[in-house]
Order: sequence, then C-alpha cells, then structure tokens
Amino acid sequence: MERTEKNLYTIMLLLILSLAVVGLALDGPLPGLQGFIHLQSQGSRLINDFTYYGVGPALFNAALVGLIGLVVVFFASVSLSGPTLAAIFTMIGFGFFGNTPLNCLPIIFGVWLAAKIARKSLGSYSLIALFGTALGPLVTFIMFEMHLPFALSIPLGICSGLAAGFILPSVAGSMLQLHQGYNLYNTGFSCGFLGLFASSLLIATNRMEPITIVWNTTQNTALILFIPLLSVFLLLSARIIDRPSTMRSLLKELSKLQKLSGRLPTDFIDASSTGGTLLNMGLLGLACSLYVWMVKAPFNGPVIGGILTVMGFGGFGKTLRNTWPVVAGVVLATLVFGKNLSDPGPILAALFCTTLAPIAGQFGIVAGVVAGFIHLFMVETTAQWHGGLDLYNNGFAGGLTATLLMAILQWYKVNRPKEDFEL
Amino acid sequence: MKRKEFLGRLIGELTNFMLEGNPLRLVVSLHQEDDGAHISFFDDRPRSEAELEQIRKALNPKAQRPELAQYYGLMAGHDMAWGARLKLIGWQIKHASVSNSDSGLQIDLWLGSDAFNPDNFTLETKKKEK
Repeated sequence: MERTEKNLYTIMLLLILSLAVVGLALDGPLPGLQGFIHLQSQGSRLINDFTYYGVGPALFNAALVGLIGLVVVFFASVSLSGPTLAAIFTMIGFGFFGNTPLNCLPIIFGVWLAAKIARKSLGSYSLIALFGTALGPLVTFIMFEMHLPFALSIPLGICSGLAAGFILPSVAGSMLQLHQGYNLYNTGFSCGFLGLFASSLLIATNRMEPITIVWNTTQNTALILFIPLLSVFLLLSARIIDRPSTMRSLLKELSKLQKLSGRLPTDFIDASSTGGTLLNMGLLGLACSLYVWMVKAPFNGPVIGGILTVMGFGGFGKTLRNTWPVVAGVVLATLVFGKNLSDPGPILAALFCTTLAPIAGQFGIVAGVVAGFIHLFMVETTAQWHGGLDLYNNGFAGGLTATLLMAILQWYKVNRPKEDFEL
Repeated sequence: MKRKEFLGRLIGELTNFMLEGNPLRLVVSLHQEDDGAHISFFDDRPRSEAELEQIRKALNPKAQRPELAQYYGLMAGHDMAWGARLKLIGWQIKHASVSNSDSGLQIDLWLGSDAFNPDNFTLETKKKEK
C-alpha cells in the first residue's frame, strides 16, 4: 500500500472514530448504545431521519456503517481511491437515514455470493456491494415492518437481502448501458429497478404500507458544525497529503479536475492527485453547506447524508463546475412549480441531483439545467414506485432522466447527415 | 466473462477509437491461444509522439483496478456515438504496445489468464526477430 493510500485510510478512520466518539458522548455511552440498538429495528424506507430519534445514536450508526464500508474495501484488496471514497462517504451519509449495519450486511454477503458463483473476487464487485446497501430498507422492512413472528421474519429478511445482493451485479451491469455512465449513482438506479419488483410483490401480499416522511427540523449544533468542520479538515489534509506540494500546485490540480466531464468511471485521484481531489471534496462540502444555510433548510440526517454523498463523489465525478448547472435546474423547477426550496423533496433533490453532473460536464450548462429541471419532478414521484425501498431514489430518478436525455442526444448524433456516405 | 463477449467489447471500443481518426484503411487481427489472446489494430494514420504517449498511458494503467474493470468495464464497446474511452480497455488487459508502423498507427493488446505466455504469439516473435 502506498503512503498516500495509508494517509487516506488514516483520514477515513479519523472521520469514523470522531463520529462514533461524538455519537456516544452526546447522550452518554449507555443511552447512545441503546439508541443505536433501537435504530436497527426502526423502519428505514424513505424518508426516515434517524436524527429524529436521537443525534448521538444516528452519528454512532453512521460511523459503524462507514466502518463496514472501509473494512470491505480493505479486505477486498481494492485501492482506497476516488470510487471507494465515494462509496464509503455515501454509506456514512445514508447511515443518517436508512442504512444500519444490520440491513447492510446481508446485501454485501449476497454480492459476495454472486462473485463466488461468477468466479470473481469480491474486489471485482466491491463497488456494487457497497452501493448496493441502498436496498437495506428491504431487509429492515421484512424483518420488522411486516408484523411476522421474528422466528420467520428475521431469516426471511436476511434471505431477501442475500437475494437482492446476489442479483445486483447482473442488473447493475445492464443498467449502465442505458445511460452510458452519465448517471453517477448507477447502483441506485439498479436498486430502484429491483425495488419496483420487491415493492410490487409486497403490495401483492397486502403487506406494503404507504411511505411516510420523518423529518427532523430541530437544529442541533453538532449537526450544523459537522459538514463545515469536515470540509475544513479535508482542505487541510489536501495541503499535506501529497507532500511536497505547494498551494499553487494544488490549485493547478483542482483546475485540472474542473475540466473533466465526470462521466463514469473517472477516478479523480487517478486523473489528478489526492490533494487536488480532497480540495475538490472540501470545497463541494462548503458549497453545499452554504446552499442549505441560504435556503434555510435544517441540517438533519437526510440533508447531511446528501452533502456527504456530494463530497464523496468529489473524488468520482463531481466538481464545482459540472454540478452547479444541474442544481440550478432543480432550483428553477422548484420555483416554477411553486414549491419551497427548503422542503424535504426540493432540498434533497438539489443535493442529490448532482448524480447528473456528467451531463453538464460533457454537454454544457444548458443540458445540465434541463437535466436538473426534469430531475425534480421525476424524483418526487419515483419514491412511490419502489415504496421507498431504494435509499438512492435520486439515483433511480437520475438514471431515468439520463437515459431519456442520452437516447435523444444519441439519436441526434447518429442521424447527423454531414458525415454520411455520399449517395 | 466469456471470451467472445470480452473480445467483442475490446475490439468494439478500440475500433471506435481508431475510426475517430477517419482512416481509409483499418485492419484488426486476432490470434487466440488456450490461455490468452493477442489483438492487433493497424490503420493508415500515423500519430505524433505526444498522441502515442497518451494512448500508451490510457491502455497501460498504473495499477490493477478490478473494481472498475469488472463493473464499468462492461461499457467498453457498447457506445459508438460518443468518444472512445481507452481506459475501459486498459483495466481489462495484460499489456498494450502502441507505435507508428510503416503505414500508420499500430496497437497490440495482450490479454489472458495468469498462465498466459506472449511467446506463443507469432506477431510478437516476429518483432523480437527484427
């Protein structure tokens, strides 16, 4: 393992450790652990803000979910770089509203089983295993919300997670062809597709209930400070991780990143440097915090989850340059449809719509704004389709939007007459 | 991955790349053995040294990336409408050599199992003899 990668492990361990320690310190160790255990049996379909039940347990839960991600990356022998950083940050983020260690593990084991059957290493499917935890609510729903006896519901929940994880690699590979890498949350797109079938099955058994929104509006200092502090920490780490590096060389690397389209798979650490990537992640975190503060939205679990996801993908496709047009599209649509920018749907869409950033990066500002505009009204209905079982609902809606736009652009591209053979 | 699909994807993506240069002539040559394969691509458009270096760099990544190769590598050869992405190939092969031949660009891809032995391939042998 190279020195830079070791430093990245240190950064991630520090982040996870800080979350766990603060989580236990906020309410005291025992109540913190009790709250954490209570969270494991809470419904986790969209949107269930874990900070509503206690900030301490939510922080501790997010830390453990992130630790699982880091352990998988380490033991799967894949490098801790842009894609894996994106996955771990996303998992930590969703540890605030949906992912728990209990509902992540069966899915990861399901993907591992698929890898075994296909005679591949877990490393080959590691990203699918990590992002596949988006289907965690399926496990929790079957275990605790179907009102079956535990002797039946627990094994059934584990089996459903294993089955979902097992199918996921095949679906994720196929879904990638639809949008050709212009939707960054491809596994979210795939999980939404699988979620349609799971939700329909549950509706057929009369066990499905309508989705509800649990949204914490109480402001908590720890949550307000978390993202700005983490962003500053990443900015400082950027300065020292590639020693010797000057501020000028760091800015040069950052500017190099801004020129990339971000289309999957663009590992920013590979394309630029680790310092430049951390700088990009930190700046995205500060920009998102500023936006949330400006629209007066609460810094609660889902909002922090959204910002962490944007920051994580600051190493794997998102830059300041390719994200703002898509966010502008969502803001425009929110205003056109008379919605409030700080409501749950629009604020989450404004953060997670950056899944479509490669469209702006490749085809320009107008295409990005159009993508963002479509994304808002799509994302507000797609959660109903899969019953909130896919935590990456924006990845699902983003995949549909990207597929539509790519189909149109591709049709135009292959039918341009100038390059035809002369008749 | 089955050989046919794997080879098809690699040939598709690299052909996409070479067709972007609008060549008048393009030749693809495949030689398979039990444990590996060698694919050669020739066109009639010589490239500058800087271009050759860029292609070399994309096709010979610094490190093995199984997490990218097995997942995102599936996009290789699927999309002819947009720019070719040689990195998708680079993650999935053993080695690539890139040079200007007598007429134009020549790219050789070497792929196969861990048991793969390049000595079994005629083109490389010819090169060594030269």
